[in-house]
Amino acid sequence: MPTSAPQTQLLSPQLLARLERLELVSRKVFRGRLKGERRSRRKGQSVEFADFRNYVQGDDLRFVDWNLYARLDKLFLKLFLEEEDLHFYTLIDTSASMTFGEPSKLQHAKQLAAALGFIGLCRADRVKIETLGTTRAKPGPTLRGRASLWRMLEYLEGIDEAHNVPLAQGVKDFCLRNSGQGILVLITDLMDKAGYESALRFLLARQMDVYVIQVLSQEELQPDVKGDLKLVDCEDQDVAEITVSRPLLTRYQKTLAAFIDGARDYCTRRGMIYLMTSTDTPVETLVLNYLRQRGLVR
Amino acid sequence: MNWLPALSPLQWAFLLAVPPAILSLYFLKLRRQPVEVPSTYLWSRTIEDLHVNSIWQKLRQSLLLFLQILVVTLAILACLRPGFRGTELIGDRFIFLIDNSASMSAKDMGRTRLSVAQERVLELIDQMKSSDVAMVISFSDVQRVEQSFTHSRSQLRQRVNRIQPTQRRTDLSDALRAASGLANPGRTSEVGTNDYQVADALPATLYIYSDGGFASVPDFSLGNLEPVYVSIGEKLPNNVGIVSFSTEQNAEKPTQMQAYARLENSGTGAVTVEVELTLDGEFLDAANVDLPARDEDVPGATGVQFELEHPGHAVLKLGIQEKDDLLLDNIAYSVVNNPRQANVLVVTPGNESLEYAFSTSEAKRIAYVKFEPPATLTTKEHLADAETGIFDLVIYDQCVPTVMPTANTMIIGNVPPIEGWSKGELSPAPVIIDTDPAHPLTQLVQMGDVKWNYNGFSITGPPGSSSLMDAEIGPFLVIGQRDGFEDVALGMDIIGKYTDGNVGPKTEWPIRRSFPVFMMNTLRYLGGARTSYSTESTQPGSSINIRSSLPVEQIRVTSPSGDVTTLDRESQNTFVYSKTNATGVYETKEGRGREVSQRFAVNLFSSRESDLRPREEIELGYEKIDGQSASEPARKELWKWLLIFALGVLIFEWYVYNRRVYL
Repeated sequence: MPTSAPQTQLLSPQLLARLERLELVSRKVFRGRLKGERRSRRKGQSVEFADFRNYVQGDDLRFVDWNLYARLDKLFLKLFLEEEDLHFYTLIDTSASMTFGEPSKLQHAKQLAAALGFIGLCRADRVKIETLGTTRAKPGPTLRGRASLWRMLEYLEGIDEAHNVPLAQGVKDFCLRNSGQGILVLITDLMDKAGYESALRFLLARQMDVYVIQVLSQEELQPDVKGDLKLVDCEDQDVAEITVSRPLLTRYQKTLAAFIDGARDYCTRRGMIYLMTSTDTPVETLVLNYLRQRGLVR
Repeated sequence: MNWLPALSPLQWAFLLAVPPAILSLYFLKLRRQPVEVPSTYLWSRTIEDLHVNSIWQKLRQSLLLFLQILVVTLAILACLRPGFRGTELIGDRFIFLIDNSASMSAKDMGRTRLSVAQERVLELIDQMKSSDVAMVISFSDVQRVEQSFTHSRSQLRQRVNRIQPTQRRTDLSDALRAASGLANPGRTSEVGTNDYQVADALPATLYIYSDGGFASVPDFSLGNLEPVYVSIGEKLPNNVGIVSFSTEQNAEKPTQMQAYARLENSGTGAVTVEVELTLDGEFLDAANVDLPARDEDVPGATGVQFELEHPGHAVLKLGIQEKDDLLLDNIAYSVVNNPRQANVLVVTPGNESLEYAFSTSEAKRIAYVKFEPPATLTTKEHLADAETGIFDLVIYDQCVPTVMPTANTMIIGNVPPIEGWSKGELSPAPVIIDTDPAHPLTQLVQMGDVKWNYNGFSITGPPGSSSLMDAEIGPFLVIGQRDGFEDVALGMDIIGKYTDGNVGPKTEWPIRRSFPVFMMNTLRYLGGARTSYSTESTQPGSSINIRSSLPVEQIRVTSPSGDVTTLDRESQNTFVYSKTNATGVYETKEGRGREVSQRFAVNLFSSRESDLRPREEIELGYEKIDGQSASEPARKELWKWLLIFALGVLIFEWYVYNRRVYL
């Protein structure tokens, strides 16, 4: 595997070696587009027997069960399961708020997208990475096969922030652009003043296997602030004046916990998998432990 | 509740400007530091949560403001000096009379009554405005102006603190006179002088801090004084005191003595106390004494008697073993001295009447009387004796000394041959018309039935002399001073030569009852005989006449505390000692001698001082003044509590500010 600068930044060789052994798991069976390694709903040509059906004119005689014809004197056709590729989408929130954290939430999201994309590429899945600000004129690349790793990493490196698109708008655009079904991993901080519910509802409507990974920085989890402050929202320049006190911080923590719980609850009730992670958590741990437990990879 | 603003108007203006200043500071917009955050989404929701109870939230936001305003308000309140209850100052001129008599040393209030009184007065002084004037007088049986009228509160405080307890009795009249002299026109604190307008006649409030242990002052008009009596002391004190203690020779057994003591219980319950008698510090006897409870105004009293062998020269001490509120009256002293006989010389050619009069057993007990003929007057021995003063009294009958002896003299039928004395013309059968019943020489001497049959003469004494008997011809018996001695002259012989040359009685006085009485008076007074075994006890503050046994010019008196006072001889060969301030035994040493020649005891012995129950009202003139209780402080000040509270609030404010704590 060629090593280049972008790779070292997003994925280390050790991580790549470990990711190679994993595969993405879909809880649903989707139709693919091309022949792949996934079992499809479609009946097709594989070694795995699926069903019999009556022969109709025009069927391929190669699939007639001659043994059965000999016994019953009727023509039956053997059907086999089709194996197709899996659509794997990663949708990254690139709003300004994602630039916070050390490493930044965006960087963290890129790493995660790279890791998951690499797994998909290894298993000949159809990997597509998009950002919330992606326009129809400049869509993200559709990738397949390990050889596409370089392209994927190059694309990820090229993602910059400052696409302050509302979450719902971004998701809606994505849904309109991509009609295929499959696994969708939405990596965002969910910090949208309009709420995340409408955005997730679009994804639900697509009946995709949705994973919502909320990335929060340490500044949001344990804010280190003191004194009388004027907090300025980096996205809409909204101002909140606070006087930091212990009760205020306690209340913030409660609000944060309620927010996270609310998101988890919303996702769980609707069949989505929710995972909250902080920028401090290494991608390796996230993929190999947490996502494995959630069933996205195995 | 009342207020005593402690600041000037300008200071008030500054202080009252502080709360608006704090408020205006809070109106200034807080300069907040801008910080960019990923999203204000959560923060806004957090603040929204906090803003739900908006009134409470606003209160919480302004907690510091409220605390600061509270601190300043408390400080302002403290400066207003709120207080309540208790005695208040009335008027603008005050006279504080503070009792420092013996009973004020009682510790029934946990500390001495005097210190309670001082504290109450200091509290009143604190209430004084700067324009008020006050004076401080302490009184026991004498008054002392500790501080005359002044504006200076610090000086008043200092003087009040300086008042020391005494062991004296209480007499308010002196102190009242002193106070009255300064408040009423035409009065003065000095008796017998007419002093008009010694001070401006300004009304004043008279605060009497006492337990009321003094006689009422009937002949007193308060005039411009407005009296306030503050009664000091617990209502039910506990005290047993010795109010008298004396020793007498046992009449039946001359070698024995009896000691009597009288104890009084001013408490409301019957008590049993143990009294212990010691002789020169060694235990002699003890007794349990049951004392009844007091009956209304009369303390329960009982006597106790001890029999003892005659101890000679000794000090007896009687002590109550139980501790009570007043310890001063729990110990009494009695001094037993050997009796000292007067040394009397009678120079006479022969006088049976005198011999009879001096031959009684009583006269023999108190005096050693020696008769000598007039011829001895000129002998060297007599002259030497007369000069050295070995005689206490020399009686010259029908003769006159050439040189007056160093002794008291009585000259019968003549006058002393020294300047100042002169005889009037002889007149027949003088009639005594008056005798001085108050003088010790002539007390109990009734001369109404005495006839003088022959010629007598009137006597003119030296300046300062006084007539003890007056006849129609003038002074007949005169007493005069001479260098510390006294001379008495009688204007007629008792026995003398008649005109026919025979010698016989010239008066029937010797056969009258008044004659031996007069002679005994003479032996006692002029002879100065000390007949009793025990000396009289003196009360603190009284002066005592000490007669030396040797003709010395000076004696030294050592007080119980060890202070030595040297006294010069005064008239009648006596020494007057007046520093009897403390109870106990005083010792005298004569001249340069080292031996203690005499001792005398000073005891409180005052039923009024031992009775600790404070009087609820006192009588001044015709006015009854109800007492205020001193158990309440004169004024309960709240400013200290306010300041402490303000300090607490300040600390809390600091905590809130630093820790950003909200309720």
